[in-house]
Amino acid sequence: MKEMVRRLDAEYGFALTEEEIELIAKQVEDANQLFKPLFEVDVTGIMPLMKIDRKPKPRAKPKRTRK
Amino acid sequence: MKPTVLEELTIAETSRRIRKKEISPVELTRLYLERIEALNPSLNAYLTLMKDRALATAKTAEREIWRGKYRGRLHGIPFSIKDNLAIKGVRTTAGSKILSEWVPDFDATVVARLTESGAVILGKTQMHEWARGSHGINPFYGTTHNPWDLKRVPGGSSGGSAVAVAASLCMASIGTDSAGSVRNPSSFCGVVGLKPTYGRVSTYGGVPGTGGHSTNHFGVLTKTVEDCALVLETIAGYDPKDSLSAEAPVPRYSRAVGKGIRGMKVGLLRGYFDEAVEDEVRSALDEAVKTFQSLKMKFTEVTIPHLDLVPAVQMASSRSESTTDHDVYLRTRPRDYSSSLLYGNIAGLLIPAKVFIQAQRVRRLICQEFEQALEKVDVIIAPTVPVPAPTIEECTKGYLERDGRRIPLLDKRGNYLMLSTIPFNVTGLPSMTVPCGFSALGLPIGMQIVGGLFREETVIQVAHSYERKAGWYKRRPPL
Repeated sequence: MKEMVRRLDAEYGFALTEEEIELIAKQVEDANQLFKPLFEVDVTGIMPLMKIDRKPKPRAKPKRTRK
Repeated sequence: MKPTVLEELTIAETSRRIRKKEISPVELTRLYLERIEALNPSLNAYLTLMKDRALATAKTAEREIWRGKYRGRLHGIPFSIKDNLAIKGVRTTAGSKILSEWVPDFDATVVARLTESGAVILGKTQMHEWARGSHGINPFYGTTHNPWDLKRVPGGSSGGSAVAVAASLCMASIGTDSAGSVRNPSSFCGVVGLKPTYGRVSTYGGVPGTGGHSTNHFGVLTKTVEDCALVLETIAGYDPKDSLSAEAPVPRYSRAVGKGIRGMKVGLLRGYFDEAVEDEVRSALDEAVKTFQSLKMKFTEVTIPHLDLVPAVQMASSRSESTTDHDVYLRTRPRDYSSSLLYGNIAGLLIPAKVFIQAQRVRRLICQEFEQALEKVDVIIAPTVPVPAPTIEECTKGYLERDGRRIPLLDKRGNYLMLSTIPFNVTGLPSMTVPCGFSALGLPIGMQIVGGLFREETVIQVAHSYERKAGWYKRRPPL
């Protein structure tokens, strides 16, 4: 994990100290632990939620026309 | 009108008196500005005051009302706005060093709608750096203090907004909520805080990077539920400038106030946050359930099968989304972030796409489970925050000590103080916090009332009935 942080450091130019790299790597490892159970869920046939679905617009009442 | 009277004023009552010309918007604005001058040095609720502009708006409002051009219930009503919403010509920092001199040349849609309604904006309120946090300590603009106990935090990230409302430094405020940032400080400060349905209120003009695109909402902070309804019906509705805003029609939310709740069903949400909830908060919730029962509501408990995955979904979604908005500053000004935020952003860059997508699949599942639960009950209730407001010292140390246990404010599940608010950012369901009691130390405790998507009317109906029966809204901080 530290290696990934180092690569980002080089790309972005953060100038991180070794202590900071260790701290961030630990955060990434903790997050990965948190994410693990997501992959234990059976999501066969479930599409990713890409936005909270909007309520459909109600249909306008048909206008009365004079005969 | 004596300055002390401000503490008792609500929008509902004041607007009636403004319309009858019994209250002058100019005098009202002056009284709030004087109170801000007196109390803001100790509370640090406002970051930028808009004194001249507020008085000019109040004079226009007064002239219009005197001539019979009354615009509606917010005409002449003093507001504050969180400092991550753009106001044309006014510095907007988002609590950050990076934007310390940014002056937008446009208004957020919410600000434009309030201005159109004749509201008087007094100033911009304090917040967490980039709206990331839950206590109210800002490394660049200082700490905001809780009006119930100045040694304690107000919560966050909309801490300044909650303090401004609780301390009667405005009548209502607009905040933002990506993980609980309206509800958490509202709970700590004893006011009403609403995070509406996702898409209900336009987020155009919010500072990018102050919330996940799919988890962030603009919300309302007021002293009472009726006031909240009056503000919501003014600011809600489709906005062509916000591609994620909803086209659902906007009801007159204030009509839900005063409707009975007899026979309606309330469900107490059980889940992963239960173990974190302190006894005083649990007791307050138990009492609230008794109040609902005395109002003839039917009670049950609600469980959501995949609720324990909410913290993972929230982190994968919100952190990935908001970090992308920081890319340019991370490349050019990384050391202008506080170190904790810089580290969090770098960690956010390392969330893999497959995690993000898997989280969105699980998120849909959780949304479906809540939808099914809300077919059986009208509203769900849950604690807003597991504890009453911690001290500034505890938050600076990064942990609470309770019954000999050390509770870190940040752990693997994310932010401890947001554990019970994030389910409704993940699902987009409307959630309102209302005061439901006080701790032995006299600190407010909040309860969330949650409804189905776009069912804010039901939330307001139930919350108002509870508020009137329980009576906690009458208490004011000892300032």
